[in-house]
Amino acid sequence: MQRRDFLFHTGALAGSAALGQLGILASRAGAADAAAADAAAADGYKALVCIFLYGGNDSNNMIVPVDAAGYSAYAQIRSSIALPQSQLLPLQEPAGVLRYGLHPSLPGLQGLWNAGNLAVVANVGTLVQPLTKAQYLLGTTQKPATLFSHIDQQHEWQAAISDKSSNTGWGGRLSDQLNSLNAGANVPPMISTGGNNLFVTGAASQALVIPVSGSFGLSGFSNSAADAARRSALVQLLSLDRGADLTAAAQDVVTEALSSSATLNPILTAINSTVSQAFSALATTNFSQQMLAIAKVIEAHSSLGAQRQVFLATIGSFDTHTNQVNRQQTLFQQMDPVLAAFQSAMAAIGAAANVTTFTLSDFSRTLQANTGGGTDHAWGSHHMVMGGAVHGGQIYGMMPDLALGGPDDAGGEGRWIPTIAVDQYAATLASWFGADATALAAVLPNLAAFSPSTLSFV
Amino acid sequence: MAARNAGIRISGAALLLALAACGGGGSGGSSPPATPPPPAAVQPTAADTARLLEQATFGVTQTDVVHVQNEGFAAYLTEQLAAPASQYTGFSYTPHTAPVGCQTDPATPTDASSLCARDNYSLFQVQRQFFQHALGNPDQLRQRVAFALSQIFVVSGIEIYEAYGMADYQNMLLNDALGNYRTLLQDVTLSPVMGHYLDMVDNDKYNAAAGTSPNENYGREIQQLFSIGLYQLNPDGTQQLDSSGAPIPTYDQDVVEGFSSVFTGWTYPPLSGATSHWTNPTNYDGVMVSFADHHEPGTKLLLNGVTLPAGQTPAQDLQMALDNIFNHPNVGPFIGTQLIQHLVTSNPSPAYVARISAVFADNGHGVRGDLSAVVQAILTDTEARGDAPSAANFGHLREPALFIAGMMRSLGGQSDGVLLRSAASAMAQPVFTPQTVFNFYPPSFVLPGTQTFAPEFGIDDAASALARENFVNTVIMKGGAAADPTVTGSTGTSIDLSSLAAITDPTGLIAQLNQTLMHGSLSLGASLAIQGALTAQSATDPLAAARTASYLILTSGQYQVER
Repeated sequence: MQRRDFLFHTGALAGSAALGQLGILASRAGAADAAAADAAAADGYKALVCIFLYGGNDSNNMIVPVDAAGYSAYAQIRSSIALPQSQLLPLQEPAGVLRYGLHPSLPGLQGLWNAGNLAVVANVGTLVQPLTKAQYLLGTTQKPATLFSHIDQQHEWQAAISDKSSNTGWGGRLSDQLNSLNAGANVPPMISTGGNNLFVTGAASQALVIPVSGSFGLSGFSNSAADAARRSALVQLLSLDRGADLTAAAQDVVTEALSSSATLNPILTAINSTVSQAFSALATTNFSQQMLAIAKVIEAHSSLGAQRQVFLATIGSFDTHTNQVNRQQTLFQQMDPVLAAFQSAMAAIGAAANVTTFTLSDFSRTLQANTGGGTDHAWGSHHMVMGGAVHGGQIYGMMPDLALGGPDDAGGEGRWIPTIAVDQYAATLASWFGADATALAAVLPNLAAFSPSTLSFV
Repeated sequence: MAARNAGIRISGAALLLALAACGGGGSGGSSPPATPPPPAAVQPTAADTARLLEQATFGVTQTDVVHVQNEGFAAYLTEQLAAPASQYTGFSYTPHTAPVGCQTDPATPTDASSLCARDNYSLFQVQRQFFQHALGNPDQLRQRVAFALSQIFVVSGIEIYEAYGMADYQNMLLNDALGNYRTLLQDVTLSPVMGHYLDMVDNDKYNAAAGTSPNENYGREIQQLFSIGLYQLNPDGTQQLDSSGAPIPTYDQDVVEGFSSVFTGWTYPPLSGATSHWTNPTNYDGVMVSFADHHEPGTKLLLNGVTLPAGQTPAQDLQMALDNIFNHPNVGPFIGTQLIQHLVTSNPSPAYVARISAVFADNGHGVRGDLSAVVQAILTDTEARGDAPSAANFGHLREPALFIAGMMRSLGGQSDGVLLRSAASAMAQPVFTPQTVFNFYPPSFVLPGTQTFAPEFGIDDAASALARENFVNTVIMKGGAAADPTVTGSTGTSIDLSSLAAITDPTGLIAQLNQTLMHGSLSLGASLAIQGALTAQSATDPLAAARTASYLILTSGQYQVER
């Protein structure tokens, strides 16, 4: 149990605090949290916003030890791609503990942390069941399928099923389970600005994909009788000749698009929305446009009749096999102000505690650098959870021992064996969203393998 | 990739049947004979001929239908194999960082600096030529296969933004598309474009002092995406299973590290007139060059337990490693399935895949990896042929580039490619610019809630589906696009519908379009719905009926899914 010993070696943590970090103790929600939650509960609306960091974000350079011994171990292994200690943004933990700092390009997230609206969940990853290093090396305990492969690990994160492929994702299954809460909604329960995605695919619920910017709709139809007849025929054709699977599927995509675009276009093109103001000072990027579109839909949720909405936004290019320092910095510089603006926008519409935003990614990256100044595919990764309902300012779970070939390393390059399963991470968010025990079991079929089933970060 | 075969996994008994049906040979897979075969004894039907042309070209033309009916499928394919390869032309080396004076200025998008950036530091001109070639050049089959290969051996304009680099790479795919897979694999591997994209370029050996190891990107993806995939396959594409019923991985992390060591010691080709050194500046012209002192000297673990001896040169290791991959039994079913999906159907039967794997293994003359034989076998297979497919899951959604080009070709349109390239982007397929090496969509994509494979649906969503309809509106209803004054020789985009407009009888008009666009498969119900819309069109606008009927067929699911 060397990995647990590591926790105590940090010195500042008593046993109970360590258990709290694991999420076993009850939540530490403060008075401010509770007040926000009460205000937010006014109409009972809740939204989950997933931000998928495509390519595998290197979380070893996102959360970095700042204490002398920890930083030294980190810097020695990371050599050329180590971040300077002086530039790290400290993450003050409860009771005066200071163990870690944030990447210097994440000042917005540091502010959210300080305000208690951001939590870090340590070393989360794909698992079939809890797995020690000894079990991993022995090979008799089942481990996730196709570790270190982009698309498969993406799918396992999106499905929260790691032992086999799945045709549904956990956002989709969650929407299926809570479908009755959206009985009056006039848009699908899930909306994606990142295209079709397994995360937002359910057995019964499908995501609506909206454009990153601007509106979407059918062009070229006036009010003339001729155009009305052409449109009528177009709609009629959508319901004919459904014997061929793919033809019917193509028709269904258009049918949904015609319906939802009519509902959402006025919302997406609104220029005077409250949430827009929070984004007005930002440089326009693909990601800022995605998050603004999502914020606009959330602002309009009551007119859409939606009580539970799941959103997906994506950022790419985290596959930093070379030149990692510059590339990750660029990505974080894009991401950080947008996340801060999004949280401000939620606060401005009184929905700060109704909306919880969280990251997913393929995997983290090797602690050891490669010869190209980059890192390669790894496994367990730290993740961010943001929002007014989040019990922020804390790290949940156990940070890995940064030693090559050490107690947390699956091999010799720093690929962390996760200590929190995707299933637990997802269950915590799903539970906040309103899934009861029955629903949780349906959403996360392998959850029973892990204890506790939910953590306390939100 | 794990999901790809899940839906066509079959029982042991069914597997035996599938293998028996395969017969150990594979029909129609022999190498092209030296002289064209005699004309077909029985002329193929117009419908089956049009279907073949949908699968083998960028769009059916009635001229081609008549031509192919007359000479037969085998002779047509032989003719196509011999057609000279299209090439992207007019591009030359530019430095990796755009010089001052050649950088986009958003304030003056049409000044010389911005146009220089557009033409050299974006894929604008390459994408334009892609559509010009697709619409007009005779080597249609080669272009179709090269386009499919560009979505397997992926590089993206996101990182390869220099036009000359992408032109070089696509020219290589066009040249190799109907050659041997082993040649293709080596040309891809040594391409500085791929080297840049997946980091084989400048990949250095282990450095104990710095604590760094070789970059694993190319060593992993060449196996996962370009050759064998993640799991051991049967020749029919189904997964082999172990005694506990689990799929069997093709490689592990140790093998990834073995190949990563193989692919060390290569850098960009030297610039013209410059001395070559470790490392050369970014240059996409030519092939990568090796430096033995930057090549990992130790042994390397490859597939199937093979270990390369220590101390070989970079080129020796590379040849033996590529042979090791090439001879893995997965390559035929892995690559064959994807080519079938791109050309014919998203859901080939295991027996179909097995027939193609057999041709990949042996083209009939003892040669492994003959892509021309594989492509001919795919197109002449019984499962691909006939007037109408019977299986409900047969066919595939026309991906945006095929949808755009097919519509233009079948209706006799002309274009400089300017509108077409931007339309493809709006439909979520910016040509040669997918988000990642996993292409625009994965071959494993299934229709939500089903087991039906539907790769192209990975990018068919509310926004992109309406972009399809709106492109048809632009070209058919609004007359297309005018010439772009900033593009040399620009002709705009247009389709002349006057010959259709000459058909004044609505039934006759629909029947003509049914033949031109749908190889006669438009349903009666659909015809009646279109006819209903035609009655409301202007009697004084001679084009109104032709436009309306064309619009309705092109925007329909029946047209957009090719069956």
